[in-house]
Amino acid sequence: MPIWPAGALIQTEALGMRYGGANGRLALDGASLALAPGELLVILGHNGCGKSTLLKCVAGLLKPTAGRVMVAGRDITGLTGRALSEARMAMGMVFQQARLIGRRSVLANVLCGTLGRHRSFATAIGLLPRGETGHAMHCLDQVGLAGFAAQRAGTLSGGQAQRVSIARALAQRPTALLADEPVASLDPEAAEEVMRLLRRVSTTERLGVICVLHQPELARRYADRIVGMRQGKVMFDAQPAAIADATISALYEGIMP
Amino acid sequence: MSAAAEPPLTRGGEAARGVPTPGRWGGNALGFLGIFVFLVALAQATLVVQARPQDLVTGIHGMADIITRASPPDFSKLPDLLWPALETVDIGLFGTVAGVLLALPLAILAARNTAPARSLYVLARAVIAFCRAVPDLVWALLFVTAVGLGPFPGALAISVHSIGMLGRLFAEVIEDMDTGPVEALTTTGAGRLQVFSHAVVPTVLPSLLGIALYRLDENIRSSLILGFVGAGGLGFELLTAMNLFQYKTVSMTLLVTFVLVMAAERLSAELRRRVA
Repeated sequence: MPIWPAGALIQTEALGMRYGGANGRLALDGASLALAPGELLVILGHNGCGKSTLLKCVAGLLKPTAGRVMVAGRDITGLTGRALSEARMAMGMVFQQARLIGRRSVLANVLCGTLGRHRSFATAIGLLPRGETGHAMHCLDQVGLAGFAAQRAGTLSGGQAQRVSIARALAQRPTALLADEPVASLDPEAAEEVMRLLRRVSTTERLGVICVLHQPELARRYADRIVGMRQGKVMFDAQPAAIADATISALYEGIMP
Repeated sequence: MSAAAEPPLTRGGEAARGVPTPGRWGGNALGFLGIFVFLVALAQATLVVQARPQDLVTGIHGMADIITRASPPDFSKLPDLLWPALETVDIGLFGTVAGVLLALPLAILAARNTAPARSLYVLARAVIAFCRAVPDLVWALLFVTAVGLGPFPGALAISVHSIGMLGRLFAEVIEDMDTGPVEALTTTGAGRLQVFSHAVVPTVLPSLLGIALYRLDENIRSSLILGFVGAGGLGFELLTAMNLFQYKTVSMTLLVTFVLVMAAERLSAELRRRVA
């Protein structure tokens, strides 16, 4: 059992997840990991190895059936309702698809990321917290798309849309970003751009980033640490230089796609 | 030679791969059966509706007589028809707006992904189906007996029937909507109401508006018919003029109706194009 650094942002302790009752499929089997501020951690593994489940447990979208998730020293596993929403605000989520609202402007989409901080009658009936416009523009600037603020989100390319979704996550003022296969539906060039961006905000904003990837090669170049998962278990957790190619390919061996 | 031999080979290959290719005779037999069934259905329909085309031919002078008696349309009646025309439009407008307002909450209950409880889902579906199953003409008859003659029972009838037509379509839009933005906003820590107003509403609004505008067009047309059962508007004028054998007024009323229906159709199509 490794000893966690005292300043860990997120840590999972022996996380277990069994879908569909006592005899269901075991998606997570004692998965433990820790994330420090400013660290970019990449999770690799075949489809169904539990990496997305792990991310969803950390994000508070799924309740693990064993173990616990600590965010900034606080156990979020048992939280519900308002307390859960507030805990979620600390973690910005990026999905495979950008999930923007196509008919609204890029700026409006980014402003939506600040809604959690502005619970009022006005925002409940559909008004945006305009006081956050400056902050939202700053976030758009960070992803290099400030010039697109007034454009309809539906008109963006896949890579641009994904960067706006990162700006939306940044507008939340998170302490960590959780990215679930953020480059899986992008062309190689846009994928590089998104990875560079995640790397940059991780370093400059001291954000912890957990990124689920399918490309070992991207992981090697951008990650501070790589976690390999197989059948719900953490197989290795080390710096890229310390991991042999064979160790990574062993994750995918004997698995029918 | 080899080119000529190719097609049967391809066909054999497909069969080997398990593609269901009905045999030459099997396919044709099925086709003949289909045609036979259709012809029988058509024959019985002709008998049941007592179709006698020769009556059309012998009765042609009757039609010609009505047309000569109806033309030219009596344009002096136009000012008298403006008010009923407005009534017809307003019955459609009121019925559509009221229908939309009542159908929306019902649709949220009747969509599988937003229904808070199974029992409410079943109840909402039943209400919507009932409103749709009873024709608007029957609703109008019911409301005329309840609130008396005039445009109001017509407006009520259209509202209730619209709930049935709109509720189902709205529920389908909500069920088929892209849930990505909803999940994305939920994870930012936004509250339930915020997610609804900032993600659900902007996602479904264009489709809902389009459906409502199409309904407005349909409702203006059906409000014409409702006049026949005493629910005001141009329909009522048409019925009165026919009962009094004032065929020139009848043709004038039909002319106004035609203009109105065309205008409603164009306007609705244009607005739908803009919101799409």
